[in-house]
Amino acid sequence: MTLDSTRPLFIRLLLLAFMVLVPPVGLLAHGALEEFAQGLVPEMDKKGETVGRDLTASIERAIGHGIPLTGLYGMDDFFSPVLSANPEIRYLSVTDHEGRVLFLNGAAREMLEPFYTVTDFEVESRRSHKSIIGDFIDLTQPLRGKVGVVGHLHVGIDQNYVRGRLLEIAVDIAVVTLVSLLVAVEILLFVVTFNVTGPMRVVGMVIDKTRRGDFSSACGAGADDEVGRFVHRFNAAIRYADDLFRRLEAYMDEVKSAHFDKSVVEQVGNIESRVRFLFRFSRSGKPEVINEHQATDIRLPLFLFVFAEEISRSFMPLYVRDLYAPIPGLSTEMVIALPIAVFMMFIAAVSPSAALAASRKGSRQVFLMGLFPATIGFFMSAVAYNVYDFIVWRAVTAIGYALVTMACQSYIAQVSHQQKRAQSLGVYVGAVLTASICGTGIGGVLAERMGYRATFIIAALLAVVAGLLIYRLMGSAQPRTEFQTPRKRQLLALLRNWRFSALVLFAAIPSKIALTGFFFFLVPLTLLQDVSTDLGDVARIMMLYPIAVVLLSPLAARLADQTGWKAGLVAIGGLIGGAGLLLPLYSSDLDTLTLAIVMLGVSHGLSASPQLAMIPDLCWTECRNMGQTNVLAFLRLAERVGSVIGPLLAAAFIPLYGYGGAIIALGVVVMSMSAVFALLSFAYGSGPHIEAELSE
Amino acid sequence: MEGTRALEQIGQTSLASTPSGLPPSRPVRWSLARKVSLALVSILLSTLLLAGFFAYYKFESVYSSLVQSRYSFVVFTIKKQVEDSLNLGLALRQIRQVQDILEREKMRDPQVMSVEVYDFRGEVLFDTDRGAIGSKAPPPLIEALSGSATQAFGITDEDALIVGLPLINNLGKVEGGVVLRYPSAYIEHGISGLLLQLGKGIAFQLAVFSVLAVAGLYLLFGRVGRKLDAMQATLDAVITVGGRAEPGPGADPFEERFAEFVAKSHEAVEHIRDATAEVGRLDRLQ
Repeated sequence: MTLDSTRPLFIRLLLLAFMVLVPPVGLLAHGALEEFAQGLVPEMDKKGETVGRDLTASIERAIGHGIPLTGLYGMDDFFSPVLSANPEIRYLSVTDHEGRVLFLNGAAREMLEPFYTVTDFEVESRRSHKSIIGDFIDLTQPLRGKVGVVGHLHVGIDQNYVRGRLLEIAVDIAVVTLVSLLVAVEILLFVVTFNVTGPMRVVGMVIDKTRRGDFSSACGAGADDEVGRFVHRFNAAIRYADDLFRRLEAYMDEVKSAHFDKSVVEQVGNIESRVRFLFRFSRSGKPEVINEHQATDIRLPLFLFVFAEEISRSFMPLYVRDLYAPIPGLSTEMVIALPIAVFMMFIAAVSPSAALAASRKGSRQVFLMGLFPATIGFFMSAVAYNVYDFIVWRAVTAIGYALVTMACQSYIAQVSHQQKRAQSLGVYVGAVLTASICGTGIGGVLAERMGYRATFIIAALLAVVAGLLIYRLMGSAQPRTEFQTPRKRQLLALLRNWRFSALVLFAAIPSKIALTGFFFFLVPLTLLQDVSTDLGDVARIMMLYPIAVVLLSPLAARLADQTGWKAGLVAIGGLIGGAGLLLPLYSSDLDTLTLAIVMLGVSHGLSASPQLAMIPDLCWTECRNMGQTNVLAFLRLAERVGSVIGPLLAAAFIPLYGYGGAIIALGVVVMSMSAVFALLSFAYGSGPHIEAELSE
Repeated sequence: MEGTRALEQIGQTSLASTPSGLPPSRPVRWSLARKVSLALVSILLSTLLLAGFFAYYKFESVYSSLVQSRYSFVVFTIKKQVEDSLNLGLALRQIRQVQDILEREKMRDPQVMSVEVYDFRGEVLFDTDRGAIGSKAPPPLIEALSGSATQAFGITDEDALIVGLPLINNLGKVEGGVVLRYPSAYIEHGISGLLLQLGKGIAFQLAVFSVLAVAGLYLLFGRVGRKLDAMQATLDAVITVGGRAEPGPGADPFEERFAEFVAKSHEAVEHIRDATAEVGRLDRLQ
């Protein structure tokens, strides 16, 4: 285990976290589910008995009027409403005294009759008889006529109903466990890098200088743990050598200035030259303190902040629907879509200024500045009166979101070396996607239990925690770089590069249309059309999108690097996403929609990394002229057009085609644009394109 | 002790007797194992509480909806019987057998607190608690009559849960409503077993796995601490006593680099001391 490397220690910690978190939750869930089953079954029996008693009374009334059991008419119509109103009751049947089925609704005769004909129900008492037939609990009650028991009424309770409810709890707990593991990963990664590998990496840097005889640097003060003590001792050794040198230096100065013998002065000068040749000490009088900044410094606060934003992902349109108030000239759907579109628009509008502010004021300050409106936005969203003020608070949150995310990106760009910039940006993408999985998953379940407003309050609290972390843990002295502001002329030149424009227009924008229009806006609304789906289900289904992206992104990035087939991957990704949105053409059930969400995740997982990786080749000249960071920032800004259009377009389609139709219509738009890009991708070629420069 | 083996102090030098200027070692107030244990045990506690919270509320929700649906069925049965009479053209207050129906249903289930029928103005016409007949039904019950004709409404009333349905004649006019009260303690009793089980489970799992977490972390960070202690001890010894740091066979690249640092530091200290001594000697030359 190398002390200055995160991976070995982190992997060991991760294994320990897995061993400590998963088994106890599993054991707790097991115990809870057993208790749950034990508590639920008697209540189901009571329900079955109540239903059976009522039906028995009605049938016995008919028999009492002299109608023979076999002559009862309309029993199907009699049973149907009972079955449809009580989903846990799967069948109702009436058998004669010999157990032959006379009337049956909800199950196959072949399955039940063999059991009934051989069973002596012994139900002469008023209590019902309970049997297990396959997946059913059969509650049998006697039907009495004037001559005694003439047959039986059977109420079949679905054992799968209990299993289904148990599974729902198990899935909820699994989501909690997954989220806890991901949170544990983030926290442990932070603990390891902040307390161990970060300081030890700085020690390593100072060691490398000292090995060459350079004693001009020392490490920043460590914490009061073993690493801090080691760093303190390590620094003490450097300071001891430095101190000895200072004393020698003073002594030599004294001898050189005061000694009358020139040859002594000369010899002392030689000694000084020799010492200075062999060793280097700081000119400032003491070793300079090195505090290395790393991309991972910002990961935990960023994770918490994005978690806070993503927590409302699965219910945002539903909350807006609850807050609905008419806006003249806009349809209901358009009003519901408006907060999402406004949020995206404000992010797009504020991001460039936020980047500039981060470069001028430092990331820490801009992060803290951004948290202020974001926290207010989350909190006020929780107490919003109607959609009017909610839109305002979402805009305020968006300003905060833009400031925070740009501060993080700027910090990462500033602290990472050029060669490691892509790797460091992976820290940003990793934190955002992990937070997206956690926020989406847990947000829906929390909202289901505690309500939308309480969940927004939790988001505000998470944002505060992120702020406290930044305030406490990030030094106020931040690395700053000069921000190269691109001129408008340069941006226009970028748009004249047809490959870049085509990438923006036919790949980046449709991808965002699908994300915000379909995933953010249509998915929660469409999924909840199905009465059997609850908010927890919506959240769990929506979690599949970031999971697919997380799983596929690294593979796609590697594939793009190995094959160089970046445009192809972007094109295939776009087509898969478009095809997913067209799936409701064939079926509009839950599974199809789930598959469409997974396909969108696959689409974005395949295309996101290659899209960025294409830029240095596509815009070789522009990257040289205005900087790769600015070209990428412009791509991000331009694609936000799609983020704004997405929900509005979807909302415009709903009154025309309904929810399913709106998904298909959005799919047609995305598919058409992606198909154009797929055709154009053949003309992209490979390697850097330097035509623009040659033509200048 | 891999770390200790990895970095050993070998030999002594001429400056061995010179006192070191290294300050005393700083005490460890919050060990790494303690810090990470705190984080991991907090995550474990939050996970168990959250999982328990979700399990409990899901059970509560399924259980109470099952109980409510059972009593809804009872209310639905009463509603059918009353509406059959309404459809014969009788006025609600004239259907005398309603009182018998209500009392029969209450007798069947000891958990039923009361069953009452009231008219659209809210006047209680029939009630298993006969003393309440003629009284006014609470406003929420009257408001609930405007809801669905077939979907039972549920209301909470102090210590009772109420489930009811409107009574509608064959012209579609709401004549009144029928409601059944059952104790909320019934639900609480039904789910209390799970609450207890969850409480015990959380406490037990937390205790067992916290110990495991702390033990694992002390083991893991103990190695880190020992490695650091060994390097620190070597540094102290070489600077104060002399000799050289020699990375052992199991040393990692960091330790090898550290050994070079120790050697260079010692070389610098020794060289500066020699230089100081030499300057002193020259200074004393008259």
